[in-house]
This record gives sequence, structure tokens and C-alpha cells, in this order.
Amino acid sequence: MTGLRTTYSPLVRELFERLPHAGDLAPGPGTVVHGEAIALDRGAWVRYEARIKDGRVADCAFRAWGCPHTLAAAALVASRMQGHCIDAEAAFDAGCLAMELDAPPEKLGRLLVVEDALSGMLARALALQLT
Amino acid sequence: MPDRVPIYLDYAATAPLDPRVADLMSECLRDPALQGNPASAHAPGRAAAVHVESARGQVAQLIGAQPESIVFTSGATESVNLAVLGAARAAGSSKRHVVTARTEHRAALDACRQLEREGFTVGWLKSGTDGSVDPGQVAAALRADTALVSLMHANNETGVINDIAAVGRICRERGVTFHVDAAQSAGKLPIDVDGMGMALLSFCAHKLGGPKGIGALYLRHRPRPALQPLQFGGGHERGLRAGTLATHQIVGFGLACELARVGLATEPARIRALRERLWAGLQPAAPVAQNGAAEPGLPGILNVRFPGVEGESLLFALDGSLATSSGSACSSATAEPSYVLRALGLSDLAAQASLRLSLGRETTEEEIDRAARLLVDCVRRLRAPLPAGASEAIA
Repeated sequence: MTGLRTTYSPLVRELFERLPHAGDLAPGPGTVVHGEAIALDRGAWVRYEARIKDGRVADCAFRAWGCPHTLAAAALVASRMQGHCIDAEAAFDAGCLAMELDAPPEKLGRLLVVEDALSGMLARALALQLT
Repeated sequence: MPDRVPIYLDYAATAPLDPRVADLMSECLRDPALQGNPASAHAPGRAAAVHVESARGQVAQLIGAQPESIVFTSGATESVNLAVLGAARAAGSSKRHVVTARTEHRAALDACRQLEREGFTVGWLKSGTDGSVDPGQVAAALRADTALVSLMHANNETGVINDIAAVGRICRERGVTFHVDAAQSAGKLPIDVDGMGMALLSFCAHKLGGPKGIGALYLRHRPRPALQPLQFGGGHERGLRAGTLATHQIVGFGLACELARVGLATEPARIRALRERLWAGLQPAAPVAQNGAAEPGLPGILNVRFPGVEGESLLFALDGSLATSSGSACSSATAEPSYVLRALGLSDLAAQASLRLSLGRETTEEEIDRAARLLVDCVRRLRAPLPAGASEAIA
């Protein structure tokens, strides 16, 4: 048996404590899209849900299972997606998240799951807009 | 951040030093009359030796042994190594087989792997799903060339107790040396080395309120098991463990054993009641399950899993409030789950969702109630944002 050995940045601690945007979207106008990525072997499962209005993310929520870095990254991305244009290049790749959260290298695989869930959601939003 | 000291529920890792032991050790370190080498023939050496021998008696009494059966070591890991490597190597060229279990502590596992590198064959027993090793399995694993059986009395992760007396009878009948790792059980359960039939028994001070850095290996007096020493240089401890004896450590170990022996009349029942109170207090966090059989089990260990909860997040959420151990090395690059829990049939994710909560001498009802509330709150908070279906998939 082991104890906690990883260190966590103040931002990870703050996001983990509050988990902003965790849960489900409240009912409201606009189209709702989802994106989900599951990698149990890597220790992460992330699902995003966003309401799209006028080509932008009007609201975003997430559900997730994973380590503190995964949960903090999922919350950080959900916060930053508010008002984000769906066809703009998202600046939330795993490398950027790792840098911003000061995550150790072994967490990169889990942050890729966050990135995959987000990419899936934005791709669906874009596809809906094109149709 | 919490404004008070974390609740300590990691007694299976180590117990806080008993203040009475600390006082005695401090006195010993300061006493000018006790500064001699206990192996020296002059007056200060003889004075130190008197204290060492008195402590040896206290240590022996805890396990129902004679003082001359005790060899002091640096701790249980060294004792286990001395027993496993020393007994196997001393058994001769016709005895090259050793039996142990996959759920043993790393001290025994790694010593057995070393024996494999030296050409020994090791029979690795699997525990049942309750965590215990069936004595019948031990009997079936014995061969004509078996030199040693090494098993733990109580598992360090689950607290599950093996039927040592039954294995002892089997080994005695088959003329096989039997070593017991009692690092977790000494001072927590009654041990009678003669009645339980072991030839060798390892334990240490720091699990029972004594200092870290001191342990003991019991060697049966008659017939005495053959043992090769691991280190050389002075012939201390009847040639089995060279090195100047640390008088203050040994004196502290002696008192810790004495206190544990006296406490055996009441402490196991008190701690078992606290463990049951903790288990009841965790029920609002359902689903919650125990890993390993609850009985027979060490009074102070409760290994629980919370399906759907990620182990590192749980430890992080508890950090600063509760000192405990998780079922995985989840913060390491390999994220390797506990091999003991996996041996019980748990999946990697279930092992990672597990905590070992271990109670001891200073644990109070108030701490147990507070720990249960903390755990329930943390588990609920971590389950709240789970994706649909995650809890079942991660069980």
C-alpha cells in the first residue's frame, strides 16, 4: 500500500476543490452536443456537454472520472469554453494543459483523454452547424 | 487547509512512538552509565548489556519464547531476509525448494526471488478470495527437497490471518523449517511460538509503538533451525547478526513489547470495536465493500473499496485530513495496483479504488467518527461528477 507522492500545483488544488462546471447543463435554448473519451487503462473518462448558440459555446459542463489532474483539466477546459467559437482552433491540447497545470509527464496520457473528449464535442458541434 | 493534525489511520505502516518508550530511550541515551558497548567486558559495557538482556526478556515474553531465542536485527525486513535466505542457504544441496505465498510482504517475496536467482525453486501459493492461505495447499506444495515454508501471520494490507498453527503442525510432521512473518500481528494477537510450531518468527518494534530501526528474529531453541548469517564482523548475536547492539533501540523495543503484552488483554477488543464503528460509519458511502475476509482478521485493519472512486483523487481529497494508504501506487508512472488486492481477484481499477485504514493504540471514537464523515463526504463528492455508467464500469 502506498500514500500520495505526486505534488499538485495551486491551480490543480483550486480546480479540484471547486470542480467548476461539473455536472449537467440546465435546460435551456440552443443545440446541445456531447463529446466523450474513455480510457480506463490510462485512468481517465471524460464527457463534455455544451450548448451551442450562434456558432459559439453558450454553456459547457463536464463529467469525469480520474486523478486530480484529469478532473482539474476537465474543469479548466469547461470554464474556458464559455463563449468559445466552435470553429476556432481550440488551444486546449494535452501539452498546453500539462504545462498550465504543471502536471508530471506520466499524466499526459490522461490529459489526452480530456483533449479527445473536447475534440469530439467540437467536431459534433461543427458538423451540426454545417448541416 | 485543515486546521488540525490529520487523523492517523496508518498504523499498519507504522505506529507513533509511545511517549513512555520515547522517555525511556531518551533516558538511556543520556545516562552516562549506559554509554558502553554491550559486548565490552568493562563496567559501562556490562551495564549496557544488563539493559539489553532485560529487554531481550521482554521481547521474548511477548511471543512466549525464551530470551536466548531472540536475535536483534534492524527491523522486520532484515529479520525476514535473515530467516528466508539464511535458512534456505543453510539447508544444504539436497534441499533447494522453498514455499511461500504471492500475498506475502515484499521482504519475503524479494528474498525468495533472490533464492530463485541462486538456483532454488520457489512454490508460489495463491491465497483464496478471502485472502488466506489454505494449510492444505501448503501440505500439497511440500516436496522431499523443501527447505523452508515462509508465511505471514496476518496480511499487512488486508489484515487477514493465516492458520499458522495448522501450517506449523504440517511442517513439523514433514520436517520442514517454518518461518512466520509476524510484523503485523506481534503485539496485536497472542503468539505462542511453541504452540504454533514455527522455527523462525520475524517482527519489529515500530508497528507496536516502539522505535523504527530495531526488530527481532526468534529462533526455536530445540531443535534449532540451521541458519547462515547475512553479515559478518564480530560474532554478535551468537554469530547470526554482526554489529554493535543499539542499547537505546533495544531498550525501547523491550518496553514496547512489554506494553503491548499487557495491552493484549484489552486492546484487541477495543480496537476491533473501533473498526466495526468505522465500517458502520462508512455505510452512507455505499456502495462500499471490504477487501479480504473480515474474520479472522487483525482487529486494526479495514481494507475498503469504493467502486467508481479513483484512488489518487480520493487520497488527494483526504490529504491533510486523514493519513492512510491507498491500494495502488497510482501516482507513479506505472500506476501499479496492489499485488495483494489483485491476488484476491480484484481488478486493477477496484484495487485503485481501495484504502487501507489501520487503527491503533491512540485511535479514539471521536477520530473514527470524524474519519468516517470525511470519507463519506469525499466519496460522494468524487462520485457526483462521474459520467453515466462509470460507477458500474469501474467497480
